Amino acid sequence: MAEAAGAQGAAITRRGVPIPLLVLLAAIIAVAAGPYVLDTYSVNVLVRSLFYAAVALTVDLLWGYLGILTFGQSAFFGIGAYAVGLISTHVGFTPGLAALSLLAGIAASMLVAGIVGWLAFFYGASALYASVISLVLPIVVVQLLFAGGNFTGSSSGLSGFDSFDDVSVETWFWIAGAFLIVVAGCAWRFVASDAGRVLIAVRENEQRCQYLGLDTPRLKIIAFVATAAICAAAGYGFACYTTVVSPEQAGFVFGTELVIWVALGGRGTILGPVLGAVLIDYESAQLSGDYPFVWQLIIGSVFVAVIVLFPRGLLPLIGDALRYIGPKVRPAVPPELVELPMHVVAGTTGPALAIHGVAKHFGSLKVLDGIDVSAAAGELVSLVGPNGAGKTTLIRCIADGSERSAGRVAINGHEIGGMSPDRCVRLGVGRKFQMANVFDTLTVAECLQMARIRHGFPSVLRRASRIGLPRPALHVIRTTGLDHALMTPARLLSHGMKQALELAMVLALEPSVLLLDEPTAGLTKAERTLIGGILVDLAATERLCIVLVEHDLDFVREISSRVIVLHQGRIVLDGSVDDVVNSDLVKQVYAGGGHGVGAAA
Amino acid sequence: MISQLLDIVTSAAILYAIAVGLLLVFGVLKIINFAHGGLMTLGGYAALVTTQFGLNPWLAIPAAALVGAVVGMVIERVVVRPLYVRPLDAILATWGLGIIIGQLITIGFGRGVQFVQSPLSGTLEILGEGYSQYRLVLVLIAAALGLALSLLLHGTRLGLDTRAVIMNEDLARGLGINSTLVRFITFAIGSGLAAVAGALITPLSSVDPNMGVPWLVNAFMLVLVSGASLVSLLVACLVLGGAQVLISSLVSPVLGGITIAVLAAIILRVRPAGFARG
Repeated sequence: MAEAAGAQGAAITRRGVPIPLLVLLAAIIAVAAGPYVLDTYSVNVLVRSLFYAAVALTVDLLWGYLGILTFGQSAFFGIGAYAVGLISTHVGFTPGLAALSLLAGIAASMLVAGIVGWLAFFYGASALYASVISLVLPIVVVQLLFAGGNFTGSSSGLSGFDSFDDVSVETWFWIAGAFLIVVAGCAWRFVASDAGRVLIAVRENEQRCQYLGLDTPRLKIIAFVATAAICAAAGYGFACYTTVVSPEQAGFVFGTELVIWVALGGRGTILGPVLGAVLIDYESAQLSGDYPFVWQLIIGSVFVAVIVLFPRGLLPLIGDALRYIGPKVRPAVPPELVELPMHVVAGTTGPALAIHGVAKHFGSLKVLDGIDVSAAAGELVSLVGPNGAGKTTLIRCIADGSERSAGRVAINGHEIGGMSPDRCVRLGVGRKFQMANVFDTLTVAECLQMARIRHGFPSVLRRASRIGLPRPALHVIRTTGLDHALMTPARLLSHGMKQALELAMVLALEPSVLLLDEPTAGLTKAERTLIGGILVDLAATERLCIVLVEHDLDFVREISSRVIVLHQGRIVLDGSVDDVVNSDLVKQVYAGGGHGVGAAA
Repeated sequence: MISQLLDIVTSAAILYAIAVGLLLVFGVLKIINFAHGGLMTLGGYAALVTTQFGLNPWLAIPAAALVGAVVGMVIERVVVRPLYVRPLDAILATWGLGIIIGQLITIGFGRGVQFVQSPLSGTLEILGEGYSQYRLVLVLIAAALGLALSLLLHGTRLGLDTRAVIMNEDLARGLGINSTLVRFITFAIGSGLAAVAGALITPLSSVDPNMGVPWLVNAFMLVLVSGASLVSLLVACLVLGGAQVLISSLVSPVLGGITIAVLAAIILRVRPAGFARG
């Protein structure tokens, strides 16, 4: 999906004309010529299809790009339609009121989207929950319309209200076409921009986004609210055109139809959902008169088949075929990497990381108990201990305020309280996961760009030609040779390169406390030495406080300035490398003797 | 007062019967089966055909179970199994299946509303008030379904395997449990239960090709607030179903219709574990 979206931006014809520009030109010609070549009935139907296509595009932006499967966009369409229906019926229709009802519809749907977004998107919410909430929304809106009695016209809606009466069907066709072209053009520009990559990154790996400092629930709410405004505008146009508003326009059946059009056309593309909506809605109008049930049956069957067999939809299939025989994609120019001046952090005198009495329980099971650790800038602390000792759990408790059951954690003197991971990142925490955790479909350059997102949200219009990175991140990239693979999708990297990329991403956050969960797992001896050297250098020259979970005791001995031994959720030893190496206790722990340890500790 | 109390109990029983199949599928397969509404409709029409043949109306229940289970097996094998790793796509595909079932029924039976003979008519005197016998019997049937499922889950080898898959599928598979088979059987049972629920509600209203859809969202919400526990589903049905009955009769039936969905959404926002212990 992401490749399709990316290729859209780079595809050109042999003469060097960007394909999206050709598509835009074709769309403009089609809209301009439509009323002259089509019969009135078709023009009539297509006005509706064009408005619907704009709404389908918002479903695509939320679902195809951001990963939120939503059935609720119809509710915003309905709100926009009812705003003009209600005001025209009960107050009147003047140019001023026409503008007012457009604004009222947009404002009302944005407000509703904000409330629903708050309900659906929060830290820890599942994708399924958000989908079900989006399904509840249109049902609630329709029931409220039913409950409105004469005011909303109940189940039959409102009709015959005053509107732009002197506008011909042909003009409406041009208005709807122009609206769709503007929405699609803006959407295309947006998804091809750096900000568009952010949506894909959230879809691909929301957890990594949060640990890069991005408040993903907030981003989702903003996207939800923005698309609601587009839907309301489409609903306004449609209601003015038909002078009929009915509860079905806000209903969840329409909401699911939108999803079907997007799925068939091709989620994660701009053209696919537009074509899907226009063609299917137009054909429905033509065929449903003669074969209503058979037509629905065909759509339903094709829909199921496409979801199971071609989840990307039909347009990407055609696109693949065309690319195979057609114009070559111009290789994109990789962005330039630039070294950023280091921020000199105001010298804090206290410890970089302070942990007091941290505990983690699952019911009666104590995974961590009474953990006290204090680490200063420039220290390289290794956490060791047998499996199940609570090492990764401790790392989690430092990076996510909602993880621990008791105790306090402070980063550079700031309590993390119950902060979500993105806010902990802002305090200076950088966490590298045990399994390489990058954005598989994004390129190396895009992954690095994502890691800089908290230092400035990327442009919604263009792609950056340079990426500014702090010195440590650049150092990792250059020493591992990642700078020669900037345009490679991250999933094609070797395991070691992925680990290095994630380390570079975490360092690009400019953390002051660096948490590394087995950074050398699965690496070759040479790669391990390389990473070890980089870490020692980071602690020494950049004064980072590094906390490392590691199983390889030789590696720990080489690089650590201090070692903490965890066993059964408690700290059994905290001292220098020599202390630990010479400790009988540690030998006992690793030999698996659970009994003696309790007494010794 | 008495009749309102009975309304609450019988409504909860109906909701329980409808949601229990969905809960089972959600617990084991971790997907929401959007074809549940279509399968309920199928059960309603199985009841219609049974009574049209002049058979005993009670036979509608096993007939619906059989039809639902067989269709469920086909759906699981052809559509759901390839989508285990794409749960959101599974929602969409099962929704598409719901459309297909609805349209096939429309083509076969027409889109009109039809009525099914009730196996029990008349009322029962309870503390001086007459109450529909059939609704009271529904409580017993729902209780029997719940008990039978508990026995199946806690008293059989299949149930043990199923509970293992619910708790930790990877571990269960590692222990040699054939989780594919468990999923297959679970989906078939869940589909059969959906059809039974459809057959059970038809005497209360009527059958039409979209009869299952209005129940669907309430059933989802009940399942989501219940986690994967039969007991918390019972609590959710009583509390939310009770709220629905009260708001319908005291405030407005229209608001009553959205009570379950809205309350469940708010409960999940405040406490993501819902009624489940967590």
